[in-house]
Amino acid sequence: MTEFKSISKMKEIMTEYYIEAKTTKVKPIAWLTSGAPVDFVNAMDIIPIYPENYAAMCAASHQSVELMEIAEREGFSQDICAYARTDFGADISQGGPIQGLPKPDMLIASTNICKTVTKWYQVIARKYNVPLFVVDTPFLHDGMTNELVDYTVKQFKDLEKFLADFTKRPFDDDRLEQIIILGLEASTWWKKMLSLGKTIPSPFNSLDTFIHLAPIVVLRGTQKCVDYYKMLYEEVAELAEKKIGSIPDEKYRVLWDNLPIWFKMRRNSAFFQEKKCALVAATYSNSWGGLDAFELDTDDPYRGLAQSYLGAYINIGFEDRIRYLSKLIKEFSLTGFIMHSNRSCKPYSVGMYRLQEEVTKLTGKPGVVIEADQNDPRVYSEAQVETRLEAFIESMESIN
Amino acid sequence: MIEHFHSIISNVSSTISKYETELKKPVIGVMPAYFPMELIDAAGGYPVQLWGNNLPIQRSDTYLQSYCCSVARSVLELEMKGGANMVKAYAFTSICDTLINLREIYRRLFQKPTFELSIPSTQTEQARRNYLKNIIDTVTKGLESVTGKKITQNSLKDASAIYARSRELQRKLYELRQTKPGVIKNYDFYAVLKAGFFLPRSIYNDMLEGLIRQLEKLPAPSAKRPKILMSGMVFDPIEAYKIFDELEIHIVDDDFANGWRTASKTAFNYKDIYEGVTQYLFQPAPCCCVYNPDLDRHEYLIKKVKTSGAQGVIFWYIKFCEPDAFDRPQLIGRLKKEGIPSVTIEIELSMTNFDPVKTRINAFCEMLEG
Repeated sequence: MTEFKSISKMKEIMTEYYIEAKTTKVKPIAWLTSGAPVDFVNAMDIIPIYPENYAAMCAASHQSVELMEIAEREGFSQDICAYARTDFGADISQGGPIQGLPKPDMLIASTNICKTVTKWYQVIARKYNVPLFVVDTPFLHDGMTNELVDYTVKQFKDLEKFLADFTKRPFDDDRLEQIIILGLEASTWWKKMLSLGKTIPSPFNSLDTFIHLAPIVVLRGTQKCVDYYKMLYEEVAELAEKKIGSIPDEKYRVLWDNLPIWFKMRRNSAFFQEKKCALVAATYSNSWGGLDAFELDTDDPYRGLAQSYLGAYINIGFEDRIRYLSKLIKEFSLTGFIMHSNRSCKPYSVGMYRLQEEVTKLTGKPGVVIEADQNDPRVYSEAQVETRLEAFIESMESIN
Repeated sequence: MIEHFHSIISNVSSTISKYETELKKPVIGVMPAYFPMELIDAAGGYPVQLWGNNLPIQRSDTYLQSYCCSVARSVLELEMKGGANMVKAYAFTSICDTLINLREIYRRLFQKPTFELSIPSTQTEQARRNYLKNIIDTVTKGLESVTGKKITQNSLKDASAIYARSRELQRKLYELRQTKPGVIKNYDFYAVLKAGFFLPRSIYNDMLEGLIRQLEKLPAPSAKRPKILMSGMVFDPIEAYKIFDELEIHIVDDDFANGWRTASKTAFNYKDIYEGVTQYLFQPAPCCCVYNPDLDRHEYLIKKVKTSGAQGVIFWYIKFCEPDAFDRPQLIGRLKKEGIPSVTIEIELSMTNFDPVKTRINAFCEMLEG
């Protein structure tokens, strides 16, 4: 992985964020799914907390197994999402890097990342006896439709009412507008940074982007977030300008589809570096930068926001996914693509083998599907995955 | 009489082909769960319900990972091996992530039309209403394009009546089983429910009426071993119920998506299709796959256990069914607080060796017997 100077800034703002969340005596805490419309929560000065982000932190620091085992002893099946299990375990034991998350006062879940989150958040709602607001963003089997946007906008309005009732204050529309603008600004810098991956050699590695996406998930809508991504962009742009690649002698350029394998970040980084294979685009990191799959309504911020939450990559139909993957392959001059069949994320993974076939057919570029898990090392076979990846890398034509 | 039901479920393919020819109606494959059959019937289709099967998984492995449930894997297997040739179109609902994506796989692999009745996961009434109206419109148009017939208020009225009667009869059967435990064997009971997945409803209703008349005349056998309530998404594999019969255990009630959760649904409101579908999707039984904060699964299940006289609950868990798995630990904890023992049995539809299942069920009942 690349050691960007900005990493110290990221650590600083993330630490500040978690310290405030853990110590606040006045601000309510909302637990949110990564695809939930946090803009509304921020507008009411409620601290958003992301259990998914925490679960990833636990796995990256190699603490997920012990936490999952705690949840499994409570009866949670190994069949359920490893993020959920990690968080349940961390919550029961107050474990993980920051000794558990601050208790929620409310929960907001959106179905754009999976339907499973409604189940996960119902468990938390029951445990803490706190209200749960579900923002339903149905799967876009046939692209974006006005009806889906209307449905989502209506729920946004109801969410405003829910938050106003909870805080006993009128909903702050002006603040929301500022937050939406700040969120868009940060996303734009993030997206510009990700586009630098088109440079040959790529100045960053997608594994870096998995680390650096934390602020866009948890601090979106704040000035800090905008400043951070501007800083990161400028640093990476300079590397791109100087043609400094994230790995020496970049030979292969590939896309990573699905979440990372959080507990294998360093190992994977070393593996790909040794093979001179740069991961230069990732659908997961792109999810917070706008997909370009659908045009957003810029005249009506509510509709634009609804479209951006509905259009999450794993919430779109296969026709659109194939088109999008093929576009990335072309735009980033990729030599192939890797699909992580992630046991913990069915919306991302179910159907992946078919997607791989079709994208290869359409682009002529080889793809590989590897069987792994985002958080559970116990179901991961390093030897098997690396053997598959080696064979895949050998099957690609190098860029030079 | 009962053999007739068994013969239907042993010869699904020939049953469907026979009635397809007789009725001259296109067969619509219905995926789990809660797609109102009334809509298909009213559009002039012949709905058959696909809750999975026990085919060995050979071809569907190409597209569905081993961490998908055996319901999804086996229905895809059936289509891929050509076992569902008579099915002209598929009706889905959005009950879980696997089935949502399975529809996309079908659209990429096969030429058959598919429809999805997307079940809203929201508590905001007006949003749900407007969205669902649009979904219903899309689904009905899709069905009409396959059958070539329009859904009219009259056709919906007829379909509503026939399915209301069917579920009423099934509820009668549940009642008989509960009031006279053992009057129908467990294996026979679920064979009767399963036959309803494939038979045209008017024929099924006649068979069911005949069976109920017979059962009503029979005395209640003496029940010695514990009475059980089963809970899960799918009651299959049906062979497993022979174990309960061998052990002389009486299942007195269930909470299966393809059992009571569906049988308990009241008559489809044909006067207002939106109200009809909403009522059908969200009432009266809660389901792990349907988000409805108005219903509490914990209170519901406790009440059901108490009313049925069951002494314990068996959670019949189809491996990899996440919605079911998420709910269970808290549900078990709550049952425990009420003094209701439970056990979880993991099931794969393709399993053939039921010995370990038998051992666990027997051990659970021995525990109940003290």
